Amino acid sequence: MASATVDHMISLTVLIAALLIFIGLFSQTMQTGLAYERHSALSTKTSDILDTILLNPGLPTTWGQSDTAPLGFGLQDPAYRQYLISPFSPMRLSSSSDSVVYYPRLDSYYSNNTAGFGGYLYVPKAQTVNESTVSRLLGINGTYGFQIVLMPTLTISIQKISSGSPLQFAISVDGTGSPLANSPVTYSLITVNQDGNEYPSYTLAKGTTHTDSAGKAQLPPFSGINGEAQSYALIVYSNLNGFKGMGYYVHVPTSSTKSVIPLIDSFENQEILLVHSDSLGNHQVNPDSSQISYNASFVILAEDYNLRQIQLNQPAEVGELTYGSGPGQDYAYLTVPNTDGILLVTYKDTSSGQYGVGLMPWGLGSLAFPLVFGGDDTGHDWVTTDLRQVTIGGITYQAKLELWELSFQGIT
Amino acid sequence: MIRTIEVLFTIIIIAGAFIAVSYFTVLPPPSQVSPMNLRRLSFTTLQTLNSNYDLSNAAFQPDNASLWGGMQVALSASLPSNVVYNLTVYDVNGDDGQIYNSVTSVANTKNLGATSDMSTYTVASLNVTFSFSPQKIGEGTDGGTLYILNCSDANGWWITGYTAQGLAQDLYNLLSPYFVNTIMVQNTAQLRQLIDNQTISASPSERVQNAVVINTFGESVPMPQEYYQGNSRASLGYDSSAPSGYNYVKYCYTLGSTVRAYNWTWASIVGYPFYYVSNNAVFSSSQNGWGIYGMKMTSTGGSRAFLQGLANQPYSYDSRGVASDVGGVTLTNQAIDFTNYYGIYPSSYQTSTRALSNSILAGYDLTIGFNVFNPVGTNNPGAIYNHKSSGSSDITGSLLALGLTRTPDVRVTGLGLLSYYQPRLYSSQYTANGTSRLVVLQLGLVGSA
Repeated sequence: MASATVDHMISLTVLIAALLIFIGLFSQTMQTGLAYERHSALSTKTSDILDTILLNPGLPTTWGQSDTAPLGFGLQDPAYRQYLISPFSPMRLSSSSDSVVYYPRLDSYYSNNTAGFGGYLYVPKAQTVNESTVSRLLGINGTYGFQIVLMPTLTISIQKISSGSPLQFAISVDGTGSPLANSPVTYSLITVNQDGNEYPSYTLAKGTTHTDSAGKAQLPPFSGINGEAQSYALIVYSNLNGFKGMGYYVHVPTSSTKSVIPLIDSFENQEILLVHSDSLGNHQVNPDSSQISYNASFVILAEDYNLRQIQLNQPAEVGELTYGSGPGQDYAYLTVPNTDGILLVTYKDTSSGQYGVGLMPWGLGSLAFPLVFGGDDTGHDWVTTDLRQVTIGGITYQAKLELWELSFQGIT
Repeated sequence: MIRTIEVLFTIIIIAGAFIAVSYFTVLPPPSQVSPMNLRRLSFTTLQTLNSNYDLSNAAFQPDNASLWGGMQVALSASLPSNVVYNLTVYDVNGDDGQIYNSVTSVANTKNLGATSDMSTYTVASLNVTFSFSPQKIGEGTDGGTLYILNCSDANGWWITGYTAQGLAQDLYNLLSPYFVNTIMVQNTAQLRQLIDNQTISASPSERVQNAVVINTFGESVPMPQEYYQGNSRASLGYDSSAPSGYNYVKYCYTLGSTVRAYNWTWASIVGYPFYYVSNNAVFSSSQNGWGIYGMKMTSTGGSRAFLQGLANQPYSYDSRGVASDVGGVTLTNQAIDFTNYYGIYPSSYQTSTRALSNSILAGYDLTIGFNVFNPVGTNNPGAIYNHKSSGSSDITGSLLALGLTRTPDVRVTGLGLLSYYQPRLYSSQYTANGTSRLVVLQLGLVGSA
């Protein structure tokens, strides 16, 4: 009788222990399966949201060229169909990670989306659209986190390979997968004329060449231009079978410490604020007063990949910016056309006699600026990614969306 | 002891079940759980390749090694390094009976891996132009002329925001391909010539008979000055017995008679038809009650007088209204079908505040030739009315009355006329052999991503 009881107890204990272990094992498998189902659904959601963003212009459709917040979010160019992105809408996007500069005179903050030396993109913080607004407009607020990356498909790297005169460059055209071999390259060298003119003009030299099998090319030397002492900007385009890319290189002598910074004042009125570089921020500068004279031009990319100047015909096209004491003001308003292009500002520090040049894209694709917008995926268990080829202002980009669930903590 | 052994057997069975389940429920790799949408990436890549028609060009030159070398470079450069591709071009409607015949193919891999997807893109030969030729309304018959009132000496009403001349130009652009002749009536003197059955252009194919006349002046209708009180045709334009201010209803009667006599189709593009008459010269000091000079009101009597003339009834001043406000209206299914056929897409939802009543049908020997909008109750917001004399099946004059509220959308007028006359569109053969090729881009993922 006693042995039967012991047998009963042992067997029951072993059975319960075994059942508990197997329940745990089975639930692990089921949990993993469920998690994979959620991941699969997240992938579909990523694709849907990316197409929602890229295939609708938002509401109002021209919100990229207005100063008001959109009521619906989308980046498609309202004038076109398919995956053609408005060059202006992405410029209004601002991540919380963007650096901000302060312009005390107007008590305004500007989101700094500048990429690379000599190319400026400062967007008024008040007119930018932030991540939480986009999240709310997409209907994923509190549910999903996201990050949109617009990256040029072709990267054109420019390297100065000369010292002194003549000036020479080597370029390299690379795609996301491999170099762009044997592709035509069109280049334009903008050299600031250091001829004593009060408002410095520029000279444009242009030409074409081809990349080699490694996607590299060497531009012919530019005689009479000292690569260190002079100010210049090189703009390079390359295209092959519909894929277009651009790159730029700006050189200003290191001794030139003052510059003209273009700030976007209004997307709707196409107004640009040209300010003296010393005026930005809350810092002491030495000397405490200086004057820069400038000459602003607007160029667009023609169908033959050459730059074509558009007449601005405004008094503020040339002028002086005075920082600190002295007559005049440290800013000037300039209106640019409503088509995308490049604002080109050549300038001269009137006290030191140093020249410089700066570029500002009017339209994200004009200088092939990249954009990273949205949250940070660090620490999230499962992030899905989807990719499209899109065109922004004639330049081919890859639009990548990363999406993750905010509430899901993964498999425990 | 026996129970312990039984439990051990049970554990073995459950363990076996777990092992079996684990063996068969193999979880897919992450790349299959949430894969990149290769189909859309492929499609957008094909679109970009063809953005300058480079893909079309290459697809029709399969032996051009330079073109295809460039295509491979572009594909390799534009796709992420972990994506492999296979691009194949197919000829559509091959001669050997197969629908799709492979023409050429390029790839950077033999195996597209476990995860792959594809998109297709149809490209057309750059040597082929696709176009359509519309059938001409009235071609081969004694008609086919479209007159658009573009009178410089008259003012419009209820065309707010537009000018009659601007609307006339839009209608010209929209409808001239469908008519043998499209002629702008530049002033009221030319309109008088038409009323007199005189041609106004040098075109030998101009026909006053069986013409279509579009009044772009909205609720107002241009009036030649001869019909002004005291002028040579005052008896045909001025009714001294009508209530003061509405005396020019008689001119509307004359127009109705003319429409019947020449079998015109008169198109009123918006609002209440024949509510005002206009001539800047003779009415220079008169205004329509809303501050627009060069115009006189005929009010509701204008439409009645026109219909009397159309029905060949004796003239008598009749001020009874013929239209009502019916609010929102929708295009008929037939009209929606024709929007696709002719590629004219006005909004299907409109507002009608001047919908003609069905009561005019019996009173003036009218039948409805085509309903542009669905009737609302006993009112027709937009329709073409045909006049057929009692006992006759022949049409003698028609009226397109679009009783929509301002401002006018001339596409509705165009759609109404084309839906009624139904000219055929002869398009070039898009499916002709050798004009189209199908490009398939298949993408695959390599690696463990």
